[in-house]
Amino acid sequence: MIFHFIIKEIKFRKLNFILALSAISFAVAFFVFFFTSNEASKRETIRLTRDMGFNLRIIPKETDMNKFWTTGYSEFTMPEDYANRFMQFKDFSYAHITATLHKEILWNNKEIILTGMAPEIDPAGRSEMAFHIEPGQVYIGYDLAKEFQLHRAEMIDILGRKFTILRVLSESGSTDDIRIYGPLAEFQEILNMKGQINEIMALNCLCLSPDEGDPLIMLREQLNQILPDAKVVMNTTIANAREKQRFMLEEYFAVISVCLVILIAIWIGALAMINTKEREQEIGILKAIGHRYGKILGIFLGKALIIGFISAIIGYLLGSLLALKFGGAIFKITASSIKPIYSLFIWSIIVAPLFSSLSSFIPAIIAATKDPAISIKN
Amino acid sequence: MINLENVTKIFKSPRGKVEALKNINFHAKGGEFIVIKGPSGAGKTTLLLTIGCMLKPTSGVITIDGDNIYSLKQNERTRFRASHIGFVFQLFYLIPYINVFENIILSAGLSIYNKKRDKVLDLANNLGLMNRLTHTPSELSAGECQRVALARAIIHLPKLLLADEPTGNLDIENSLEVLKIIKHYHQQGGTVLFVTHTDIADSCASRILQMENGKISE
Repeated sequence: MIFHFIIKEIKFRKLNFILALSAISFAVAFFVFFFTSNEASKRETIRLTRDMGFNLRIIPKETDMNKFWTTGYSEFTMPEDYANRFMQFKDFSYAHITATLHKEILWNNKEIILTGMAPEIDPAGRSEMAFHIEPGQVYIGYDLAKEFQLHRAEMIDILGRKFTILRVLSESGSTDDIRIYGPLAEFQEILNMKGQINEIMALNCLCLSPDEGDPLIMLREQLNQILPDAKVVMNTTIANAREKQRFMLEEYFAVISVCLVILIAIWIGALAMINTKEREQEIGILKAIGHRYGKILGIFLGKALIIGFISAIIGYLLGSLLALKFGGAIFKITASSIKPIYSLFIWSIIVAPLFSSLSSFIPAIIAATKDPAISIKN
Repeated sequence: MINLENVTKIFKSPRGKVEALKNINFHAKGGEFIVIKGPSGAGKTTLLLTIGCMLKPTSGVITIDGDNIYSLKQNERTRFRASHIGFVFQLFYLIPYINVFENIILSAGLSIYNKKRDKVLDLANNLGLMNRLTHTPSELSAGECQRVALARAIIHLPKLLLADEPTGNLDIENSLEVLKIIKHYHQQGGTVLFVTHTDIADSCASRILQMENGKISE
């Protein structure tokens, strides 16, 4: 009977029902859009900050740092197998581990740097960050390509072995402009350094807030457990930019979420208040003819639950649709990864009716506890 | 049956206090038909609402069948009202979005809907509402609305019927029809408190009380 009563009231006050339904549907839609896009935004931020490059350089412990910074690489080497040791420690804060061998050579009467790169290793199974170089192929720096008029798909000779240029790198304003990237194994062979590397490049995935301590100390402690005869240096500019960007984004979303919840609560609460005020006389009548407080509250909360439930479905569909339609335009790099988040549907189904009931609860309880004569008079 | 001792009701408003009931002492026996008359603003409705467990007096004691009604908890008072009292208002106060049948059965309690069905149909038949059962209040005449309100008030056979200007919005024909129903309820042993500012119910009254400025006189 209560359900029947609720349905009849909904049909009678269609506008109020539509307004309440739209309020909660839009609120749910906004949150679903917000969180679906937020996931894309997080991925985009990760991708953008990741594209800043590796920020950790693991080099042999005996490396003379003066020479390292002057030449840009360590004069000492370590076994290539060192890179594989990271695979045993999944909880460590090193990601995108790439074994590399850097060596300055004379090529066509020019001093250039050869960098051999092994395929990336990632204990957490993340997608590759650096470019993958197939055997027989190289990436050539901007200045070298310009000076020797080299283009994509051309063959070049490096220390007696032929390689195809897969890509000419764009101008970077760094030593990369005079660098040739190639497969580690082949570069090891032509440099007579089989099984040797002089650097493991990695990305720090330890995002600590400023008050959580110095990440480098933690990274060094972790490295000491894996490679006691290596040391790590960190490009703090890139690392800090990454961390600041991520924290800024998280804080921004946290503030927006709280503001949204408050605004929507006021909106829904106001609608519930208007509906209760409109129905105050009805509440008085029900009480006058002997209906108890609990039943009257049930009628109001029942309606709120129905509104919340329907709104959750509409809001989820609308929010997901908006995220799919417009999310791609906002987050261009990760557009294809914007997908409906099905767990948000479960959350919507739980939270929207709860939120709607809570907003109706206070005005309903005020009206239901008044003397019936006062309610009827009002 | 009904006993009021030193009952006072004061309403507070921004423009000061209004003493609607002034130290009222009143007794009504079971089975009486009492007409309370008086000008508008005399306190008749306040008296009726106070007796009907719907408006707590500022001071004084009201007992019905020996129960001090305002010493009961809110839910107990609601239960008491549901089982002992029926109320008819001048403005009918029907629920606008449910039909006649549902408005009548509503009084009998939501949870025992099916048990009361036959009783509602009998009463609707007696009150000439059979062809209106599926209509909503907006589709009824004023007289029909008041008959529905009366049916809702007496469906559960209360001991006491409180009628607040039940004929105030009706023409003479409908007023007499409503009065006939109330008279019938009284003849079956019900106690009636009938508030009016006209003489329409004088002939039915076992007692007529006058109210003026919150005071009652016989």
